[in-house]
Amino acid sequence: MELEPHTFDREFDLAELLAGMPLARMAQILATLLAGEFRLVTVGGQLMLGRAEPFAQPCHAAIRHELETLGHLESASDGEARLSAAAGMVELVLQLSARYRMAADLHTETVQEDYAALQHQHAALKESEARYKTLSEELEERVRQQVETLETAQRQLYQAEKLASIGQLAAGVAHEINNPIGFIRSNLSTAQQYVRNLERLAALMKAGDMAQFQALWNEADMAFVTEDFAALLGESVAGADRVAKIVADLKGFSNVDQTEEEIVNLNDNLRFACNVIAGQIKDKAELVLELGELPRILCLPGHLNQVFLNLLLNAAQSLPDQGRIKVCSDVLNHEIRILISDNGCGIPEGNLDRIFDPFFTTREVGSGTGLGLTVCRDIVQAHGGRIGVESKVGAGTTFTVYLPVG
Amino acid sequence: MAEIDEVNRKITLKLVYYGPAQSGKTTNLMRLHDLLAPDLKGEVMTLETQNDRTLFFDLLPLGFRTPSGWLVKLKLFTVPGQVAHDATRKAVLSRADGVVFVADSQRTQSVNNAEAFQNLEENVQRVGLDFASVPLVVQFNKRDLPEAQILSEEEVRARWAQAPWPLVFSSALIGEGVKETFARLLEQVYPVLDKFCALQESHGVDRQSFVAAVTGG
Ligand SMILES: Nc1nc2c(ncn2[C@@H]2O[C@H](COP(=O)(O)OP(=O)(O)OP(=O)(O)O)[C@@H](O)[C@H]2O)c(=O)[nH]1
Ligand SMILES: [Mg+2]
Repeated sequence: MELEPHTFDREFDLAELLAGMPLARMAQILATLLAGEFRLVTVGGQLMLGRAEPFAQPCHAAIRHELETLGHLESASDGEARLSAAAGMVELVLQLSARYRMAADLHTETVQEDYAALQHQHAALKESEARYKTLSEELEERVRQQVETLETAQRQLYQAEKLASIGQLAAGVAHEINNPIGFIRSNLSTAQQYVRNLERLAALMKAGDMAQFQALWNEADMAFVTEDFAALLGESVAGADRVAKIVADLKGFSNVDQTEEEIVNLNDNLRFACNVIAGQIKDKAELVLELGELPRILCLPGHLNQVFLNLLLNAAQSLPDQGRIKVCSDVLNHEIRILISDNGCGIPEGNLDRIFDPFFTTREVGSGTGLGLTVCRDIVQAHGGRIGVESKVGAGTTFTVYLPVG
Repeated sequence: MAEIDEVNRKITLKLVYYGPAQSGKTTNLMRLHDLLAPDLKGEVMTLETQNDRTLFFDLLPLGFRTPSGWLVKLKLFTVPGQVAHDATRKAVLSRADGVVFVADSQRTQSVNNAEAFQNLEENVQRVGLDFASVPLVVQFNKRDLPEAQILSEEEVRARWAQAPWPLVFSSALIGEGVKETFARLLEQVYPVLDKFCALQESHGVDRQSFVAAVTGG
């Protein structure tokens, strides 16, 4: 925007004040008013309007503007009054022209000023826009990194949670196995004693020393030994069978990470999870199973086992000295419904909304990551199902898992 | 800055009446027109108003002839006081040789006065003048109003005690203090002008005669 740098308050000369006026019309009017030829000249003698040649003996009237004389109106005739009236008219016209010029130039000045200010603002805006763009790009990158870090951390936590439940599981299993192993071990050492006796008897038999043989037979109470030996071995076989069964159950947990789907009857998974937990709670709780007929479904059994075990462990931890855990299953409105309830301490109402939130835990630090229920919910949702909770402080808690059929 | 026109032997000065809306700038100019009697006095040109409020500016031209035969012309302007007209205010203030700040003595106007004064300081700098050296007189107007309504002289003096500018109390409505305000400004303008165009040496105008010639004694 290039505008002439006219200042509105400058001094005007006659030429500038007449510029843009309908001069031909003005000349006509002046000629009529003055009844003849006239000249409008500047103080410097320059002709602005009227007859080119100077008059021989002209009459003058000054044309004044503000404080100064800008020019003269000249006429040949001697009508003084008319001349000064016409000059007054010209002065009025010049005054109006000056007003217009000043207003127009002031307006231009302020518009230029506003425009410059706008341009300045625009430049500042563009600059800040660029700054914000960089900033937002940086932010995006930072958010991306944060998300990545969080995801890694979460994955690690999920892993830790899994390890924690496996740890709890291992403790239970160790306890379960220790018992049979203990009596198998003691049976075997008794059996070793019996075998040594048999060797000595066999040697006496070979030598034909029947008196000695009879004495030793009686001394070692071989009548009881033969009977007890069979019992020992029978007991040991049963113990070994129990260990074998526990190990077989454990296999169900060795495929926690198995991502292959299988068609299963969830009752089997519930039984298995109950078996795993049974060892841990047998002193303090009764485990009741009410399993209804279920259709087989396609699922990730390892993952669902983790859910059930988690819910059972939660229930076990909430129990008082003598408690009861009840596991029910049935089909309701084309959904498999699994209820795991306890008569333990219950969950305060204020916490109910939050128990599925990551890292929410009411247990003391160290006993879990607070991800157990979050993981459960995630797994159930990944199966297209949902998980709910109802609880009453002092009365107990029921977790309900719904899974779609087929 | 004053303009020297060697061809037409003319020195032109610009003096600006600044201040908050409705403080009495236009009234000052009207009164000056009535009260002053210089050699040359034009009419007050009111460019545009709306309900008595200046939209562009008012202009009063005054002048006198120096002994050297030059014309000294003073153009007195008022600015529009309303906050919205800042661009116009700034344009009118451009090239000023002196400023009268017309404050409104009413207690209710204290904030407006302060804001307008701050606006003056900003605009003086924006138009490239030096606030510390621009000739300035502060006028507290409307002294005719009931005492309860206006700040007392003591209060005003206390508030402006640290300020270097002459303080004049006036009632433009009645015409009191108007001429004095103007004379105080002329006294301050003279030394700057003398330095700029040797008023004393080349034109035979000293400070006293300068003020007398412009005000008409
Ligand atoms: N009582 C009293 N009223 C005054 C005085 N001076 C001005 N006024 C009144 O105040 C009102 C505004 O006066 P103006 O001179 O138009 O004010 P301004 O500063 O030019 O206002 P803007 O053009 O809007 O900036 C008018 O009604 C004046 O009559 C004064 O000394 N005393
Ligand atoms: Mg005004």
